[in-house]
Order: sequence, then C-alpha cells, then structure tokens
Amino acid sequence: MSESFEPKIIAFVCTYCTYTGADLAGTSRLKYAPNVRIIRLPCTGRISPMFILKALQQGADGILVSGCHPGDCHFTHGNYHARRRWMVFRTLLDFTGIPSERIKFSWISAAEGHKFAELINSVTDDIRKLGPFDQYKNLIRETEAPATL
Amino acid sequence: MTIQEKYKARVKELLSTGAVKMVIGYKPGSTAERRRPLFMRSPEEADQLVLDTACIANLAGYLVAEGLLSDDKRVGIFLKPDGIRSINILAAEAQLNIDQIVVLGFDIDGQEVNALEGESAGDFSALIESIKDHAPEAPRNPLIEQIEQMNPIQRFDFWQTEFSRCIKCYACRQACPMCYCRRCIVDSNQPQWINTSSHTLGNLEWNIIRAFHLSGRCVGCGNCDRACPVNIPLRLINARMGQEVLGAFDHFAGMSETQEPVLASFKKDDSETFIL
Amino acid sequence: MAKIGVFICHCGENIASKVDCNKLATSIGEHPGVAVALDYKYFCSDPGQERLKKAIKENNLTGVVVAACSPMMHEATFRKACAEAGLNPYLCEIANIREQCSWVHTDYDMATQKAMEITRSMVEKVKRNNKLQPIEVPVTRRALVIGGGIAGIQAALDIANAGQQVVLVEREPSLGGHMAQLSETFPTLDCSQCIMTPRMVEASQHPNIRLLTYAEIESVDGYIGNFQVRIRMKARYVDMSTCTGCGDCITKCPTKKISSEFDCGMGKRTAIYTPFAQSVPNIPVIDKASCTYFKNGKCKVCMKSCELNSINFDMQDEFIDLDFGAIVVATGFQVQDNSVYGEYGYGKYKDVINGLQFERLASASGPTSGKILRPSDGKEPENIVFIQCAGSRDCSKGVRYCSKICCMYTAKHSMLYAHKVHGGIAQIFYMDIRAAGKGYDEFTRRAIEEDKAAYFRGRVSKVWQENGKLMVRGVDTLLGKPVVIAADMVVLATAMVPQPDAKDFAKTIGIGYDEYGFFNEAHLKLRPVESSTAGVFLAGACQSPKDIPDSVAQASASASKVLALFSKDKLEREPVVASNNETTCAGCWGCVLACPYNAIEKKDILDRSGKVIKRVASVNPGLCQGCGTCVTFCRSNSLDLAGFTEKQIFAEVMAL
Ligand SMILES: Cc1cc2nc3c(=O)[nH]c(=O)nc-3n(C[C@H](O)[C@H](O)[C@H](O)COP(=O)(O)OP(=O)(O)OC[C@H]3O[C@@H](n4cnc5c(N)ncnc54)[C@H](O)[C@@H]3O)c2cc1C
Ligand code: SF4
Ligand code: SF4
Ligand code: SF4
Ligand code: SF4
Repeated sequence: MSESFEPKIIAFVCTYCTYTGADLAGTSRLKYAPNVRIIRLPCTGRISPMFILKALQQGADGILVSGCHPGDCHFTHGNYHARRRWMVFRTLLDFTGIPSERIKFSWISAAEGHKFAELINSVTDDIRKLGPFDQYKNLIRETEAPATL
Repeated sequence: MTIQEKYKARVKELLSTGAVKMVIGYKPGSTAERRRPLFMRSPEEADQLVLDTACIANLAGYLVAEGLLSDDKRVGIFLKPDGIRSINILAAEAQLNIDQIVVLGFDIDGQEVNALEGESAGDFSALIESIKDHAPEAPRNPLIEQIEQMNPIQRFDFWQTEFSRCIKCYACRQACPMCYCRRCIVDSNQPQWINTSSHTLGNLEWNIIRAFHLSGRCVGCGNCDRACPVNIPLRLINARMGQEVLGAFDHFAGMSETQEPVLASFKKDDSETFIL
Repeated sequence: MAKIGVFICHCGENIASKVDCNKLATSIGEHPGVAVALDYKYFCSDPGQERLKKAIKENNLTGVVVAACSPMMHEATFRKACAEAGLNPYLCEIANIREQCSWVHTDYDMATQKAMEITRSMVEKVKRNNKLQPIEVPVTRRALVIGGGIAGIQAALDIANAGQQVVLVEREPSLGGHMAQLSETFPTLDCSQCIMTPRMVEASQHPNIRLLTYAEIESVDGYIGNFQVRIRMKARYVDMSTCTGCGDCITKCPTKKISSEFDCGMGKRTAIYTPFAQSVPNIPVIDKASCTYFKNGKCKVCMKSCELNSINFDMQDEFIDLDFGAIVVATGFQVQDNSVYGEYGYGKYKDVINGLQFERLASASGPTSGKILRPSDGKEPENIVFIQCAGSRDCSKGVRYCSKICCMYTAKHSMLYAHKVHGGIAQIFYMDIRAAGKGYDEFTRRAIEEDKAAYFRGRVSKVWQENGKLMVRGVDTLLGKPVVIAADMVVLATAMVPQPDAKDFAKTIGIGYDEYGFFNEAHLKLRPVESSTAGVFLAGACQSPKDIPDSVAQASASASKVLALFSKDKLEREPVVASNNETTCAGCWGCVLACPYNAIEKKDILDRSGKVIKRVASVNPGLCQGCGTCVTFCRSNSLDLAGFTEKQIFAEVMAL
C-alpha cells in the first residue's frame, strides 16, 4: 500500500436530511476530506443495492449510504424500508467477501453538518487504512466489456 | 400399503372425481437417483407415479406456469415441507390462489418417506411453525461456518473461484419457484445493471443480486443448487441469508399465505447497530 | 444528439478561490455531448441568467448543468430561466460545487478535480433527463370535517366563513363532543355550555355547512383535491325533516332507566333521547339496543305521542356519496377506562369517580344541577381526594405520555368544589404540576393560595373502604412520609386516550397513527397539522392530548391549510412520481405494501372480451410523493421514478 493512497468513496444520500446536512457543513465552512462524491436521491428508500455494486464497479474503495434518522423521514418510512434492505445486503456482501468495513451506513439529519464533516473524515481515514479494494479492482480489470446503456 | 400406493390411490380418486384437473408428481428419471416431474391428467397416468427418497425436487414452480391456474380449477401437487412453504410464498406474493392447490404432502426422513397430514396449505401451519422454532438449533452447513471463519480476502477468493465457473445459463433461476418474474433483473437493459457476459464481475453481480432477491424468500429446497451445471454451492448463500432474516427480523420464509414479504415491510425497532 | 450546456459559476470568490473555474470549463467542454461550457462571476444575477438563456437559444441546447451553489438555493431560479429560454425546466440540473466542494475543501487541485467529477456526473445525468410537466390535479372545493367537537366545529366554521362548502360529520346524535360535557373551563372558569352552544348553533345554521349527525365515514378513496367519500347515515328512526324537537316522545317513553353516556353514567335517559338539553340538532334518536319495541316487538308509545308522525320504526341506514377536496380529521379522544386501576377501587366504590364524571356533577345542567353530591348517598362530601396522573405517565397502565390537561382540570375541580361546598377540603396527589400555558400557572397558584387546595407530591398506592370512608394511602415524597386520608369522595384524573376505534378509522382514511392510536402529523415540528396523506389535516385531541385553546388553534390552522388548497382550481406538483412497466410487472404487490402513501393500486389488464388476463401494479400520480421506495423494492425493475430514473442514476455513478 503506497503512502499516498487516496481512497475513492461514493456516497448515496437522501436530499431531505443528509444532503441538506452536507450543505450545512458547507455553509458552516467546515473542512473535510475531498474523497467523497455524493449522489443525491429523494429518499433512502430510493437507494438500491444495485447502486452500490455499480459504485464498486467504478472502482470505489468505500461506499457511504446515509439518510434521515428513524422517525424523521420526509416520506414517513422510506428509511425504515431502507434499513431492512441494508441490513440484509450488508450481510450478503460480507458473506461473499466484500467487507462491511468498506460499506458504511449512517443517519445524518439536516442539522448535523458537524456530524457529516466528521463522518466523511473518519470514513475516509478508515478506508485509507484498509487500502485500495484490489480484489474487486482485479475483477474489473478482467471485465473487458464496458458497461453500456 | 406403501405410501406410494396409498398416494397413487388418492391421486386416482382426485382425478376420477374431477376434484382436481391435474396432479403434479414424480416419475422415474434417467438414472436410479433421478426423478422427473409427472403431470397427471387422468387416473391412468397415475400408474407411473413414484414416491421415494429420490423425490427431492421442489415441484412448486410448475404451479405458476402461465395459464395453469387461470381457470380456477384445482390442481394437486406433491410437496415436501419446503415445497409447502414455497406455495405459501407464491400465494403471499399473489402468484397463485392457495385454495386451488391440493397438497399431497410428504417428508423424507433418512431412508423413509412419510405422509404428511392434511391437504390444504393451511393444514401444515403447525408443522412449519415447528420447523421455524427448530431452525436456530438445526445443524448448519459446516461450509457456512467455514466461510464465516475466513477473513474477507479468503471469502472473496472462495466465492470468486466458485462464481468464476458460472456460465450464466440461468438454470438456477429456471429451477427456483420464487424466480417467477416476467422479466428478470438481468434481462433489464435500460440500464443494464448486471453485466450479462459471463465474466467474473458479471457473475458476481448476478449471484449477489439473485441471492438478495431470495433473501427472506428462499425455502432451502436446493433446486437451484442441483440445477447448476457447474456445481456452484448456491444454497450456502441462500441459507446464510435465511439465517440473517430469521435472526434479525424473526422472518421465516413461507409461514403462511398471508405472510408479509420481509423486504416490503419493516418494524420501527428493527436492528440498526450497524448504522453510524 | 445531446447538446448540453454547462454553466460554471464563480460565485464571486466563493467558488473561484478554491476551484479553477476556467480549467473546469475547458475540460468539461471537451466531454462528449457538451456543446458549450461557460464560466461567469454570478450566474444567478440578471446578466448571468441572460447569458444562460442566450446560450440555450444560440446552441439549441437539449440540457443544462449549472455548476454552482446547492440546488436548494437556486435550482428553482435556473429552471425558471431555462423555461424562459424555451427549454423544459426539468432538463436543468445543478452540480453543487460550492456547499459540497469549494466551501469545505482547502486544496485547490483536489477541489478542482472534485468539481470536475461532480459536474461530469451531472452532465451524464442530464443527458438522460426527460421533459416533464408539473402534475396538475383538479381540486373539488368542498371540505369534509369529521368530528363535531370544538375542534371540528371551529374548522368547519373557519372554512365556511371563507366562503367554501363544508360537510361536518358527527357520529353522535348531537354536536358538542367533550366540551359540551364540561362544567366550567380553565383557566378562566367560564361556563362551557355558554361558550359552546352558540358555536354549535352557528355551525348548524351556517349556509355553507351541511351538518350530518349520527353519521359515520364508511370509506374514503381518491387523493388530495379529489376524495370520494361514502358516509353512512345511521337510522335515527325519527324523520329529521318533520320533527320539531318538541320532546313529547321523550317524556312519554316508558324505558327511562338507561345510563346516560353524556352524563358518564351519573344520570339516566330514555330509549328515545337527545344526549343533552341543548343538543344540536335538537332531534331525538331511538337507541335500538334499549328500545322496548325493538326488543319485544311491543310499545311504540313514542310514535303514538308524536303529533307530527315523525317516528318511523322501519328506517334503514342510508349512504351518501360525496366528493371532497380536503379532509379535516377532528375525532377527539376518550378518557381511559379507570377499571385498569383496581387498586383505586374505580367501578367497585361508587364514590370513586373520574374527572369527566366530576365535570357532570359540577355542571349546572348535569344530573345534580351543579351540586357536588356523592353518587352513593347524595350527600355533600366534606373532603375530596384528587389523584392526578391516574393513567398518564404510567407505563404499567399502558400510557407513557402526559395527558397535558389533568393538572389543570384537577386544579379547576378543586376550585369548583371550594366554591360550591364551603369548608370542603380538596387534597390532591400529584407527580408534577405542569401548568405551562397562558394564565395556567397563575390558575394553579390560585387553587393553592386562594382556594386552599392541599397538594401532596406523591403517588397513591391504594384506596379502600373503611367505616363509610374511602381510605386513601399515598406518600408525600417532599416530607418523605406515608399519608393516609379518610375521604368522602375520590376523583381520578384519568388519562386522555385515543378513540377506541382510532386505528381502524385511520386505516379507513389512510393516515398514520402512533403506538397508542393518536394520529400522526407529517412532521412533528414543521407540519403539525398535516397528516402524512396529502389533503388530510388534523385538528384537536385526535392527534395528541390537548386543551381547548390548543384544539381550536390547530383547527383554525387546518382550516387555513384547506383554504390555501382551495385557493386554486388546480394543484401543481413536482412531477417526481413513480410509474410502472405493466408488461414486465409480475403483480407480486411488494410495492403496494411498501409504498408509504398507499399510492399503488392493483389494476386489471383485460383482454378484448373483458376477461382479466393479469393484474399489475399501477401508480396513482395524485397520491405518489416520489420517495422511490417501490422502485428499489421491485425485483423485476418494472418501476421507475421520474427525475431520478434508473438510467439517470446509473449514468451518474458510471461517470464517477
Ligand atoms: C375531565 C376533563 C376536563 C377538561 N376541562 C377542560 C378545561 O377546563 N379547559 C380546557 O381548555 N380543556 C378542558 N378539557 C379538554 C377538552 O375537553 C378537549 O381539549 C376538547 O374537548 C378537545 O376537542 P376535540 O374536538 O378535539 O375532541 P372531542 O371533544 O372529543 O370531540 C370529538 C368529536 O368527534 C366525534 N367523533 C369521534 N369519532 C368520530 C368518527 N369516527 N366519526 C364521526 N365523528 C366522530 C365525537 O363523537 C366527538 O363529538 C377537559 C377534558 C377532560 C377530560
Ligand atoms: S433473480 Fe430476481 S429478478 Fe431474476 S427471476 Fe429471480 S427474483 Fe426475479
Ligand atoms: S445455474 Fe449456475 S451457472 Fe447457471 S446462472 Fe445459475 S449460478 Fe450461473
Ligand atoms: S414490485 Fe414490481 S413486479 Fe411486484 S407488483 Fe410492484 S411493480 Fe409489479
Ligand atoms: S415512489 Fe414512493 S410514494 Fe410513489 S408509489 Fe413508489 S413508494 Fe409510493
């Protein structure tokens, strides 16, 4: 693992809580690691396991999925559905050798700008320590056919 | 009278009285250990019926064949407890009307085949209840433990070795009663979420997503595993997911025809220890 | 071919100081499908917007990405600008390179790189955006108010006074709810009937209000602006069109010993009755369950006594079908059944009563004409022990919450008692005195200081009878001593609980409820009067325990929401809604179950002869709120969500 390894992290977040929390981190001029790319979705209920697989295919070393705290979902219970799916999907990935340490889940409300900034830093650190997800990258390399629409 | 003869008589009775329009059972296959599905429409056809310890395939999937149940007539079918659980799931997911099914239940215990009491799916609820209650202590496949003992790198390699053989024949999907989709996710190409050519990445994605779709729905009948021409131990993943939904959500697939699908429902106090 | 325009905003120095906007424009300009990439100091300014519009027209753009501040800030601005330039506004997306990039990173190169990736991902998304139209739904300008307590009456009057039509449905024979049962009301001690009756009359006579009493909601279909409601008119056995409410039938009815619900069992009524003297409408109903004719087939005394021939024993329940644009739910509460407190002897000792029964005793129109007389022997009690939180804040009795009004009405009761029975001693056991409200703390102070109510901070463990007295054993935690009081009467400040049928009712209407059965608001803080179902609003104690001022305030708030809805002919909504591919749908109904809004229906696909060939899911765009939960559930990938389609997100990820 080289010293200068900078992990690539892709985040899927809901617009009402975590995305707004990330905006708040910005308006509060907090500083955090530049490794995360955010994809905005209406609700955690919209976040499909497929997105996680595609992010891995794009060479992500870590994934973050985040939304409103239980009880706060703008759509009343999209996040409860999401929580169940994640629970199952996470176990499934872990069992097939895609370590849970690389796939992180969190609740971040629109008010938690600080939590957002801290989380991005700690997730980035954690993934940096884990190093690049070489095993998965090898698979990608073997895959000649690029994904098409 | 052997169980086979007893059931043969029952099948003839059902067919001759017109109580059912068809009975799905087993007949001899290409080798002594193999059985093939038998579709009986007349009492005479029941003469070919075989019921023995080789009748392990779950026949439930044949019930959802296009048009079979659309005339509201009843159909009889030989099912083990796993098969009964799968028709409960199919009913819960609106794929069939459980009242149309006459269950000819049996169970295999070592070298013995035993008849199960009852003919409608609901009659077996106590039986399924007890299977669920015993599920946590039931002996786990030692391979699952072995895989769990591995570190992630070894696990990844283990599954890569297995998945790398996948030829994307979709025999597993074809064999699975719960894979009744009109269009499977792999065939959805707008966008193409799962790479279809059988390179390793696509194989991994396919097997992960199919396992995800069967989480909380797999009854462990082993149809997929037996169907796989390259012997990928698919049932290990599905069994592991079954443990997960049982432990996390107290969900045991196929308890009744009104059971809510585990991934379309939730409890407010579902576990979330993994969420930061 | 896609022709995307990318507009990179410097935001003064806010973005430009951390992101090389010029370089960003150059490199994104080379990205496939990008026709033009410009950077500018302030794209949100007028000249900035003009540049954007000009570029759209000159390049015939098919999509726009504005790389600037958060979409929460200016998405609306830029979409509007696009529309003005003739581009469908939903073909515009924002790449957030300020809040989520330049403001949070310090390294110029890394921030520029990140901005580039964010923008590229958005370009790939926008290439797959579809032209969308805001969803328009027509609005039926008629409101349904369910529940004729003070909350329902207030909401109905507010809406009606603004010139809109209202149907007010009450399931009891009369309007009024609990407030009609109260004696005097805290914190002003004005007579409840005196302020309530004029409201009830006004509601019944208002030209814009159609009052349906003795009626219940049978079913609700449809969605905001377009509800179809079936109302069951329960058979009254009295013809409302001819009855004048003279009351001759009531006087003549021989079945007189029925315990009065209105008087909480403290008084009696006849089988044909009005709940109370000032009932609105003042038209009796026959209580089928206790009527001698219905039980034995003989009597009809009331029919003979009615000169107007208004009584009809053959009457049947009838149904009324009406369309509504909005619904206000104001179905109130019940007091908890105190028999759960075996240790307090409720139901065993006649002189242990609950707060609502005390209200009836203290009410001038009540069974004792307002005298405080104990039920067992009709004597004036020399002392009364009041037990607060009899049910509330007690997990063991199933109610964890505070009922909010009991501290206040217990103080009120002690004052009413002191005013009515000179020398009477009121002793109150309490956990805390919660008197937050205008004039509330002053009110409880008055009870203590002027009317000499004695407060003991502690719980009561047992009530039993001894020598004709009720012995109350409690503890005074402030002195750390057990207390035993011999009382003439005990009043329990019973918890406010939801209506017993609240959960079923909520399912009929399609709104959420909490573990107890109080209806859920869309957001506890920011949307406290909306239910989670668009177009259905909440008022009064059906949402949570409330006093009259709070109930009325929420009712007026609900009315204003209804009026805002009725201020337009059509509703416009963001077109972020799900839709289904009927060819591939397997009809598993997982999505139907998962949708938080019940927005997905089961639709029959028929062949030419009208035979059902299959059933598929069908999203009602009027109900769908666009969360996408169903899309993620659907195994066969049949569902999709406009604005966040599978293709769009796929492309976004694949560009990273
Ligand atoms: C003992 C006691 C003393 C109180 N004293 C005071 C006081 O002094 N001051 C004060 O401010 N507050 C007081 N309150 C609180 C006050 O009673 C409530 O705040 C108020 O009654 C709430 O009004 P509401 O309209 O929400 O509910 P309710 O008064 O309960 O009215 C609800 C109405 O809806 C009807 N309904 C229910 N379900 C249906 C249905 N499915 N279909 C059609 N109709 C339906 C009911 O029949 C009822 O008429 C007291 C409460 C109690 C228990
Ligand atoms: S793998 Fe999934 S989508 Fe494909 S048939 Fe099975 S359940 Fe349906
Ligand atoms: S049956 Fe085996 S080889 Fe065929 S698709 Fe399934 S896992 Fe792959
Ligand atoms: S989840 Fe998908 S397949 Fe199932 S009913 Fe809904 S749209 Fe159809
Ligand atoms: S997007 Fe959400 S609200 Fe709309 S139909 Fe799907 S689950 Fe229901």
